[in-house]
Amino acid sequence: MADVTVIGQGIFLRGSIRGDGDVEIRGRIEGDVEVAGEVTIGEAALVKADIQARRIVVRGAVAGNLTGEDGVRLEEGARVVGDLRGAGIGIAEGALLHGNVQTGTGGAERGRARQATREARQPARVEPRKTPAVAAKGNSSPRKEKAAEERPAPPPPVVPVLKKGSRAALRKRSR
Amino acid sequence: MASTVISQGITIEGELTTEDDVVIEGTLRGKLVSKDTVKVETGAVVEADIAASSLSVGGQITGNVTATDRVDLMAGARLIGDVKAARLTIADGASFKGNVDMDV
Repeated sequence: MADVTVIGQGIFLRGSIRGDGDVEIRGRIEGDVEVAGEVTIGEAALVKADIQARRIVVRGAVAGNLTGEDGVRLEEGARVVGDLRGAGIGIAEGALLHGNVQTGTGGAERGRARQATREARQPARVEPRKTPAVAAKGNSSPRKEKAAEERPAPPPPVVPVLKKGSRAALRKRSR
Repeated sequence: MASTVISQGITIEGELTTEDDVVIEGTLRGKLVSKDTVKVETGAVVEADIAASSLSVGGQITGNVTATDRVDLMAGARLIGDVKAARLTIADGASFKGNVDMDV
């Protein structure tokens, strides 16, 4: 137990924790945690930090992304808002999670690779759609111009019918 | 066992505030405020201002130290900074550079 770092229940830390050993957090932390060993987050803990470790076990509240090389485990009572990444991810009944989960070895790297490929694909997909749309627009604008030219033509026959006095003349006739 | 232990191989940077006791065996940079006992063990490296009720030092501290009760520098301790405390003991073999204010 000698090389386990404990952040006690009464602690408030604003900053970072880094190093080789294991860390047990029971207090409040705001910042980030990057440890080579195991990180345990106790029931009463309030953590607002991204955590990177070999293994992460959560029983308390965390707001931040959790990356555990070997795995991340949310025990009963865990409340996590953030993304989980790791070789193996376990979520026990009674744990709450709001965020993305990515399992598999080297999850972080794969995720980045996937995102990169998606980003690379997206513009290629969009472009062919755009070109016909542009062509259609190009066609439609001359049509509109033609329509605008044609439109003034039909009204003239209507206007003479409603010429000043024509209605009154009609009424007189009907009487 | 102390409520908070910063073990060897761990580095904490930032501001640490607590009402409980703290044991430092690793590295701390920034600031530490405790209402209880703080122990800086042999091999620990602290680059921080420390405020506590009592402080015992076996390791290395660079920073100002304030204690409402007492400060003890053990043999092998190394303190660079000012001390403000009601009582201060410096053991034979401790090195210390700084001012002392004992509320005379």
